[in-house]
Amino acid sequence: MTGVLLGALALVAGSAALGIVVNHLSPRRIPLLPTSTETEAGEAPALALPPGLEGVGLAEAKRAFEDQSALFLDARSPDEYEEAHLAGALNLPAYEFDDYFFDLMDPIEEASRIIVYCHGGECSDSIAVAERLVEFGFPEVYVFEGGWRSWLKSEGATEEEGAP
Amino acid sequence: MTRVRSIVGHPAVGAVCRLVVGGIFIFTGYPKLLRPDDVARLVYGYRILHVDMVNLVGITMPWLELVAGLFLVIGIIPRSSALVIAGMLGMFIGAGSLALMRGLEIECGCFFPFMGDSKLGWDLVVRDAILVLLMLQVLIWPSTFLPARRRAAVR
Repeated sequence: MTGVLLGALALVAGSAALGIVVNHLSPRRIPLLPTSTETEAGEAPALALPPGLEGVGLAEAKRAFEDQSALFLDARSPDEYEEAHLAGALNLPAYEFDDYFFDLMDPIEEASRIIVYCHGGECSDSIAVAERLVEFGFPEVYVFEGGWRSWLKSEGATEEEGAP
Repeated sequence: MTRVRSIVGHPAVGAVCRLVVGGIFIFTGYPKLLRPDDVARLVYGYRILHVDMVNLVGITMPWLELVAGLFLVIGIIPRSSALVIAGMLGMFIGAGSLALMRGLEIECGCFFPFMGDSKLGWDLVVRDAILVLLMLQVLIWPSTFLPARRRAAVR
C-alpha cells in the first residue's frame, strides 16, 4: 500500500509540475496567484480576464459614473442588489441571466458603453455576464475589476432598490 | 459470495473499469489543458476555495486528470492512478454536494462549456460516485490488462 501511496504522490507532484511549466510557456498563461491589474491601492486581486474582455479600474469607473458615459450592470444576486448597489446600476444576475436579460434589452442596447461589476476583484460573476454580452455582439463591454467592494471603500454613490 | 467476488474481481472487469474511467478523464482533462483561466473561473464558481487557490487548481488539475487517465488506461502504476482519480472524484462529489446544498446554479465544469457542459446537478454527483466504485475495483483487484510493465501493474 505504501508503494501505491508513493506512486500517487509522485503522480500528483509530476502532473502539477508539468501544468506549472506548460502554463509558464503558454501564451494563455495565468499567474499562480491571482494578481490585480488595478493600480489603485487597496483593491482586491482580480481573476485573469479571458481574451476579448477588458477591465476598468476604480478611477475609470468613477469617471464613467460622473460623465454618465456608461451603463453599470450589477451581476450579483437580486437580494444583494436590493440591499444596495451602485447608484443607477441595473441588476443582471449571472446565475439568472436569461430571466433578466430580455427585460433589460432596451437600456443595454441604448448604452454606448457597459461596465459590469460584482462583489470584488476575485468575483467571476461580472466576467460571466460580460462574456455573455460580448457573445451577443455588444462591443463596448468592460469588467469593473475592483467591483462593489472597491466602490464602497471609495465612498462611491450607492442606492437601495426603489431609491431614485 | 465467492462467486460474486470472482466475477467482480475478474481481470476483464478491472480492464473495463480502467478503460472507462481513464477514458473519461482523458476526454475531460484534454480540452481544459490550455484554458487554465476558464478552469479557474469554474472552480471559483463553487465558492469553496479561496481566490488565491483557484488559479493553481486551474493550472494543475487538468494535467492531473489527463496524466492519471492516461496512466490508468496504459497501465502505468494503475493502482496509484486509480487512487488519485478516486481522490479527485471524492473532491468533486464533496464540492458538488456543498454547492447544490447551498443552492448554487453553476456549470459543472466536468466536460467544459464548448463540449456541451451541463449544469451541476445531483445526477452528476451520483455519476461521480459510480466512478469511485469502479476505481475501488481497480484498487482492490489490480488488473494486469495492458500493463506498460507487468511489474509496475501491481504498484
